[in-house]
Amino acid sequence: MSTTRARRLTAALLLLAAIVLGATALSACGSGGTSDTSASPSARPISVTDGSGQTVTLTQPAARIVSLAPANTEIAFAVGAGDKVVAGTSYDDYPAAAKSLPKVGDFSTPSVEKIASFNPDLVLAAGGVQAGLRSKLEKLGMKVYVVDPTTYAGVMTDIANVGKLAGTSAQAQKVVDSMQQALTDVRAKAGSAARKSTFVEIYSKPLMTAGTGTFISDMVDIAGGTNLGDSAGKGFPNFSSEVLLKDDPAVYIADSGSMSKPGELSSRPGFSALTAVKDGHVYVIDDNIIARPGPRLAQGLQQLARMIHPEAYATQ
Amino acid sequence: MTRLGRTSVWPGICLAAGLLLVCLVLSLVLGPASLSLSQLWHFVTTGPVSGDLENAIFWQIRMPRVLLACLVGAELAVAGVILQDLFLNPLTDPYVTGVSSGAALGATIGIVLHWSGLPWTTMLALVGGLATLGIVWMAARRRGRIDIFVLLLAGVTISYLASAMVTVLMIQCNQDMRAIVYWLMGSFSGRGWGEVQVALVAVPFMILPLFFTREMDIMLQGEKRALELGVEVERTKRLLLVTAGVLTAIAVSVCGIIGFVGLVVPHIVRLVVGPSHRSLLPVSLLGGAALLGIADLLSRTVIAPNEIPVGVVTTFVGAPLFVYLLRRGRKS
Repeated sequence: MSTTRARRLTAALLLLAAIVLGATALSACGSGGTSDTSASPSARPISVTDGSGQTVTLTQPAARIVSLAPANTEIAFAVGAGDKVVAGTSYDDYPAAAKSLPKVGDFSTPSVEKIASFNPDLVLAAGGVQAGLRSKLEKLGMKVYVVDPTTYAGVMTDIANVGKLAGTSAQAQKVVDSMQQALTDVRAKAGSAARKSTFVEIYSKPLMTAGTGTFISDMVDIAGGTNLGDSAGKGFPNFSSEVLLKDDPAVYIADSGSMSKPGELSSRPGFSALTAVKDGHVYVIDDNIIARPGPRLAQGLQQLARMIHPEAYATQ
Repeated sequence: MTRLGRTSVWPGICLAAGLLLVCLVLSLVLGPASLSLSQLWHFVTTGPVSGDLENAIFWQIRMPRVLLACLVGAELAVAGVILQDLFLNPLTDPYVTGVSSGAALGATIGIVLHWSGLPWTTMLALVGGLATLGIVWMAARRRGRIDIFVLLLAGVTISYLASAMVTVLMIQCNQDMRAIVYWLMGSFSGRGWGEVQVALVAVPFMILPLFFTREMDIMLQGEKRALELGVEVERTKRLLLVTAGVLTAIAVSVCGIIGFVGLVVPHIVRLVVGPSHRSLLPVSLLGGAALLGIADLLSRTVIAPNEIPVGVVTTFVGAPLFVYLLRRGRKS
């Protein structure tokens, strides 16, 4: 009795395995087939190169976009492609319409399966934690543009590129122009002023800052500051509080994502001796306008300049 | 081997104390803003001065940090000695009782609540650690005696349970994930006099076991033998368990979970001075302090202005030393 049962069970399992295998093979063929048929050149292909140097080519403007980062969603909406975004991540909160989008997971662990289920013709991914995601998505036949800018100008380039891919270049150009305007304004106000050493706190426990190769460091530089974090290396390194006291920045700017409050800063060990604390040059800046590589960086840049060089804006 | 002469205790203690002194001086002098010995003397004699940056670096950042590292090292080493003896298991470290995981849960709750005013993370970690000790204790108590094996199992189980809850909280409060992960790794970065005060509470608990060295020596031969030799096994066991638990809870609450110290320091010291608790306990105390002091010094200087998590350094420093001593010990 039990042997026939076991045999039956084995047979059923084998059958199941065969079905799964067959389905996988079929679906693989299917996706290959569609990409072949869509290759008919109805319009001139769109080709752009993203920050990592990879070229993304679309045969026609994207109509089904999946965004894998809040900043990417903001960019898509800003360039007038908001109606083409079919899915975003759970942190997408700007503009308000982005909140009601279907979600493919959170920023650090989006679900590949879920992304594929929306059958997107363009995926806007991010760098960093999503580095390994690109090849997975491309293997499934998806087109991936990675938004991972390291400078303010790089953000403008990415915005223009997303506009091209979505077929909304005119609107994207307007966004880029206004970002350029902010850049020119800030340079005029703060560019000639004496540079002030500035510390940007990205996180408080442990103390983290923005180092070289980040658009935040670039923006501090544009706003007339010398970014202390550059001495700690690339990306977002930890920073020793002992070194912070030794270097004694003139301006201390905490990103709101750091969970710091300006009043609480002076109660940290030794911080009350900091020049920035004594002179009241401690600020908290909304991380949505400084840490998200999107169109709102223009506001972030202007606020940074006001914090670093309030005297340049005193007449206004 | 267990009967070391009375005179042989002091050389080990003096050596360990000398090592700790050297480590203290090095830790206070070296740093991103290094001092000369005369500057060190100047700062120590003038005391804290408000408004002076160099003085603030020394008195507000470096001094409390160095003291804290040494205190925690001593606490973990003593707790390690006690628990390895009680469980009669060389792989035991202070974290097997589940106290550290309970403290981690408390700290995580403190981090995600974002309450201000008091050092809630430290306080809730302490509460979590002590509460876990209580739960494990109750689970292991049977007919008036503590069953060590039930205690071990209960500790491990509660450990898993608390870790699972920490994971849930991490996912729920994504924006605090980094703070939680760094807390779990253990660090002295950003710690000040407040944490030193908490760690100082543990000093009586470090000294207490020194009065029970004879009982601890005998209990190494098993509970039955100890009973026969007239040791009040249950009372001693309880006292030592609570001591180790409180030491671990206090250590973890101020700096997170720093591995390797509590496991390896007792072994290293045993290899050097032998298993008699009259020297094992005090030398472990001093040696643990010195090891963690040096580890923290390396953690904040090697790649300054970045910092290496101190747990990584303790492992890098301790592992080769341990292997070397093990091989040497086997030869002799």
